[in-house]
Amino acid sequence: MQSSETVIDVKDLVRVYRSSTGFIKRVKKETLAVDNISFSVKCGELFGMLGPNGAGKTTTIKMMTTLLTPTSGHITVLGHDVVTDPMEVRKHIGLVLGGEKGLYYRVTARQNLRYFADLYGVPMNIREERINELLRKVDLSDRADERVEDFSRGMKQRLHLAKGLINDPEVIFLDEPTIGLDPQAARDARSMIKTLIEEGKTMLLTTHYMFEADELCDRIAVVNKGKVVALDSPKGLKSLLKDMSIIEVEGFGITAAEIDSIKKLDGVKTVTASMNEDKQVLRVQVCDSSELLTPVANRLGNSKVIGVRVKEPTLEDAYLWLVESDA
Amino acid sequence: MPRIRAVTSSFRHQFLQFVAEPQWLIPNVILPFMITMVALIMFSGQQGNFVLYAVLGGGMMSMWGNTLYSSGWSIGSDRFNGTLEQILVTPSKLVWIIAGRSVWNALVGILNGVLIFVIAVSVYDADLTIRDPMLFFIAFFVTLLSLSMLGMLFCSAFVLTRQASVLTNGLEYPIYVGTGTMFPIAILPWWTNPLSLSLGPTWGIDAIRYAALDNYDGFSTGYWGDVGIMLALSFFYLAVAFVLFGVVEKKVRVDGSFVRY
Repeated sequence: MQSSETVIDVKDLVRVYRSSTGFIKRVKKETLAVDNISFSVKCGELFGMLGPNGAGKTTTIKMMTTLLTPTSGHITVLGHDVVTDPMEVRKHIGLVLGGEKGLYYRVTARQNLRYFADLYGVPMNIREERINELLRKVDLSDRADERVEDFSRGMKQRLHLAKGLINDPEVIFLDEPTIGLDPQAARDARSMIKTLIEEGKTMLLTTHYMFEADELCDRIAVVNKGKVVALDSPKGLKSLLKDMSIIEVEGFGITAAEIDSIKKLDGVKTVTASMNEDKQVLRVQVCDSSELLTPVANRLGNSKVIGVRVKEPTLEDAYLWLVESDA
Repeated sequence: MPRIRAVTSSFRHQFLQFVAEPQWLIPNVILPFMITMVALIMFSGQQGNFVLYAVLGGGMMSMWGNTLYSSGWSIGSDRFNGTLEQILVTPSKLVWIIAGRSVWNALVGILNGVLIFVIAVSVYDADLTIRDPMLFFIAFFVTLLSLSMLGMLFCSAFVLTRQASVLTNGLEYPIYVGTGTMFPIAILPWWTNPLSLSLGPTWGIDAIRYAALDNYDGFSTGYWGDVGIMLALSFFYLAVAFVLFGVVEKKVRVDGSFVRY
């Protein structure tokens, strides 16, 4: 397959969840989870989807992997329609879900892989060899014959990854594969994803970790309220803020009222507050940092400010700007 | 071949889960033991046929309970553990996966039946001479087949909704009574008979009693009639299960209910 070939093609995709409550007087409710999105993923590409919780990322992945039927629109994976030809799609894809669920806890890692190898129809003559290879790849060879219930979260996630690769898929869907992992385990997972891309796999990744998307993805779709609000390379997304800069303030005792007063300053686009160990960190997105540096500092007169820096926008800043602009 | 592999690997996987799960001791060892005990106490003082009649009934009750319990548990635990969506994303059809599991679940019924026999003979010194062991074996095998197929039908309900446990809880005791495990269905009100006769175990227990007991006076269909009807019912269950699984699988993909527990 040529690298320019489209592997995943999503056109005008819509997904509505319908539910009802009540017994005698049933109240029906419709939730629009995915709202007319279109994009395509090329062969060998690592395509990212970023978005807040409930943006529609997981629903989109579930439709692409045949688990959910689209309400309208079309998806083809390797030329096969996910609705009319789901079996062909399933043969060629792998799905890795984040979190601890999705494994048989009472049996061993090897027995889990063996069961899924059989369900995917991995040829018997290579089954054991592939299982051993995958166990080596995810560094679980020495724990292969232990029950999964005794595994740590990181080990379970690595087993998820191995399970997603059991049929040697051409296309791999990764839904928050590093969620809840410690930094070392997350780094190992990212390293494995890079190796898979080098091997020519096509991947679609959803994550909440911006640095992860920045490090791994060739292109990223930012999804909000079921719509794609931007689609570009990480560099391209960051360049959306090329006329902006970030004033980063570190300090203690910064109050909500002070943050609100900064938000009201002319030229301030967004303000985010987070904790870095015991320090508060404010990231103030501004058009002109030289003009706003002093007013921002003045608004924090009652707090203990230990550092103020002007920084280049990151992918996270671009993401926040896109999501908040769309709010 | 992929279908057979999905069946055999699901059968093996169900076995592995079974041996790894100590709670199975309750439906598969403790319950049969208690059922046999109650049955033998009920029929104490009776001779020959009555004791065997009770033991066979106890065995069928145990097998039926196991089918209901395990068919529901099999999919319910997949829902709970998030593995249902993992198996739905494989190219193996769910109906074959469930078929493999159901065969194992029904085979566990043999364990129950054998256990009840062993308890009756060793603890209660019961005389359990089988009139025609070959016919008994055939009837027993076809009954297991029928139970597997019935288990598959119940499984489809569990794929559809987590509330299907209401079905298994509600069906356990009515079926014990309705299939005539402990006494002939002839003594039940006439309006219950259509339900009884639509269930494989009703014909199964009658065929087993024809094969095991001397001078047994069961249904007018006789032994082979019972076996034939039971086989027909089994294939009917299988056909309905196939259709149901197709419908249910489509529905859960449309409404996304397979992830709810």
